[in-house]
Amino acid sequence: MSEKDKSKTKSKYLQQYENQMNMCIRCAYCFEKCPVIKELQWDTDGARGKVIISYGLLTGDIKPSQYIADKLFRCTFCRDCLDKCPSKVEILKIIESARAEVVNAGFASDAHKYIINNIKTTGNIYGDKEVISQEQEGDIPLFVGCQYMGRPNKTKKYVKILEKLGVKPKIVNEICCGFPMEVLGFKLDYENHKKNFKEHFPFNESITLCPTCTVFLNEGHEIKAKHVLQVILEKIPKANLKMKVTYHDPCDFSRGLKIIDEPRKILEKLGIEIVEMINNKENSRCCGGGGGILMTDQILSNDIAKKRIYEALETGVDIIVTSCPTCETTLKKAASEISESEGKTISVRSIEDIIWMGLNER
Amino acid sequence: MKIDIAKLKNIVGENNVRTDPADLYVYSSDASVHSKLPDAVVRPSSIKDVQEIIRYANKNKIPVVARGTGSGMSGQTVPLSGGIVLDMKKMDKVIKISPEDLLCVVEPGVVNDDLNKILKPYGFFFPPTPSSGNICTIGGMIGTNASGNRSVKYGATRDAVIGLKVILANGDLVTLGSNTLVDSSGYQLARLIVGSEGTLGIVVEATLRISPILKYQGMGVANFKTLEDAGKMISETIASGITPSMIELMDNIAIKAVNNALDLGLPDVEAIVIFECNGMLKESVDYEIKQVEKICNKNNGTGIKVTFDPKQMAQIYEGRKKLFPCFSKYKQGLITTALADDMAVPMSKIADTIRKIHEIANKHSVVMSAYGHCGVGLIHTKILMDTAKKSQWNGAKKAVKEVYEYVHSIGGTTSGEHGIGFSKGPSFKEEKKDSLEMMKSIKKALDPNNILNPHKLMDSPDDWLTATPLRYQVNC
Repeated sequence: MSEKDKSKTKSKYLQQYENQMNMCIRCAYCFEKCPVIKELQWDTDGARGKVIISYGLLTGDIKPSQYIADKLFRCTFCRDCLDKCPSKVEILKIIESARAEVVNAGFASDAHKYIINNIKTTGNIYGDKEVISQEQEGDIPLFVGCQYMGRPNKTKKYVKILEKLGVKPKIVNEICCGFPMEVLGFKLDYENHKKNFKEHFPFNESITLCPTCTVFLNEGHEIKAKHVLQVILEKIPKANLKMKVTYHDPCDFSRGLKIIDEPRKILEKLGIEIVEMINNKENSRCCGGGGGILMTDQILSNDIAKKRIYEALETGVDIIVTSCPTCETTLKKAASEISESEGKTISVRSIEDIIWMGLNER
Repeated sequence: MKIDIAKLKNIVGENNVRTDPADLYVYSSDASVHSKLPDAVVRPSSIKDVQEIIRYANKNKIPVVARGTGSGMSGQTVPLSGGIVLDMKKMDKVIKISPEDLLCVVEPGVVNDDLNKILKPYGFFFPPTPSSGNICTIGGMIGTNASGNRSVKYGATRDAVIGLKVILANGDLVTLGSNTLVDSSGYQLARLIVGSEGTLGIVVEATLRISPILKYQGMGVANFKTLEDAGKMISETIASGITPSMIELMDNIAIKAVNNALDLGLPDVEAIVIFECNGMLKESVDYEIKQVEKICNKNNGTGIKVTFDPKQMAQIYEGRKKLFPCFSKYKQGLITTALADDMAVPMSKIADTIRKIHEIANKHSVVMSAYGHCGVGLIHTKILMDTAKKSQWNGAKKAVKEVYEYVHSIGGTTSGEHGIGFSKGPSFKEEKKDSLEMMKSIKKALDPNNILNPHKLMDSPDDWLTATPLRYQVNC
């Protein structure tokens, strides 16, 4: 072995994952369904590549750069690598930490800085103080989340659904859960934000609307968060919508929270037949919208989304239903482009619209 | 080494050449313990691309290392002398499927399981079944002569390669082998390329033999208090005339690792053996499974279970399927390293070999598990150690040497399916000392400038530990 000096400066965030990175045997099993490497086909862009880059940043073998930042931010956080990794290496935590290293070194993108600054100044990702939740008294706290705060009609629909089912949600003047800070590498900002968050949302349990917020409230804030669909399933009556759809599992549901059966059971209760895509449930293919990639590489995000739409088209149904606002946005864009360029059409619908239809059909 | 990057970009396009330090760092390693930076990573899309790159490299004496997924465990794709790494993943077309001729034609970047998904509707599959089939490429399988858990019935990749198109070191494209299942026409050069680890040419197309998917499968599992009983069960099964499609063994260390990682509650015995039989007739599979069951009973097997239910078969096989990476959960602080990882011994010597492996590992204060496709005498081992300690690496080096000395002394071979790379170079050279010169002559005849994956196999460095920096933070 060469006498290369391996006693490098220790990285602030990556140090705690050194053993994890050694546990990565570099088997490449994480390549199997990684949407990014499937599109780009460079080892550097897959989960293993990102872990190796992280290791290089830790050892000092490579230095933070814009190029490395671009690579690290090309990840949808779809969690497929976590499922495929036989050693159960905490790949996403490693990538988050490596992102924090490059952000600390001055390689944050303007788009990400903008979002983080918005959260710091207005409490939401939009940078608009007028974007707030419609406060109301109720029996159980409902965490609305930025994605739904920015889509007030969707939120209203969910609130009405809950009320129709006998659940009175309590809505407070909440602020962003802070997930964007954590995932985009602004860890110090997140630590400050965390205390602020608790003051705005001082509960130990909650109903949530957004799959990602559900994961993060549980993991980041130790709030016992239950997704609204889990609540709806317990109470929804049967209907007879006589539709045939395919269902797209948001990654934070199928691989994060393992919420796989609940949306399907709701749809079935409403009299809907589900035709599964070739990759479904825990093997569902990502929509391409997560992990901050929408802000940094829209082309890649769109290419990934299109793959999913092609899978949906193969089922032969006219409607793809999903339960995540980000998935809905990316899939709608991809479906629209495919429809325009190839004439193959499929409608992307949110599950709350379908539930609302079912409840009003009675 | 001065590489004309503009020239390479001119051949494959701007977006298919990378030289950023991050890319070079990622492509400096595979699943082995080694690390060495290339000077450029190039992604060809066609035979013509490969030809032009090789012609340029040969003219300028630049090393070229072809790579698929980079999941090799012996350093085959670590560019020991720098140069160009050829990432072959973009050459991933299935060109032809011809069930009536029992063959298919593919490019080297096709992933094994992807090929099988395409073959399935035809009722066929590509028989070598490596555990890494979900990600490994056909090119990599050809390079290492990979096999897997069904090699006991179907053989290795070499047995399934009918013909190859190969770019030689001078850039010439040659077609080797044939399109027929039998071929007695002179030197079997396609078979020579299989297992040559990219040292003789770059495979750009492969004609592969495919096999029908057999309709019925049965699987069984038996626990053995002693390794000797497990060893006897395996060799008696093979000698009984039955051809199981799989016989896998896990030793006690493997069992503990799986239990720690997956909480499967496997019994604390010296060995667990999993066996599988398949056929077109249920009666024949029933018969074979029952015969193996009898042999298990005769050799003091306990907890014997047999099933024909696919879900139960998946449960039985789960621990073995996920075993390799589970080793990282064997004991806190011990990291899995791919060393001495795939020796093959006569089936009658399996128990003795595993005992010896444990004895040598204890002597040198490292942990070595033994498991593998024992129906063909293939034993996988991994060395578990604290990779930050120099003393552990020195112990591992001695253990590797002694294990191979024993394996060779009983008529075994250094590598059964992962290949040599340079991790196993010293032992390989010792084992094959009679034929080293012949190998060197072949290499020199086909690659006089020594550009194709240099310093591998018979040209490996004498000390794998000092051949490159290790990819771990340690000074040895």
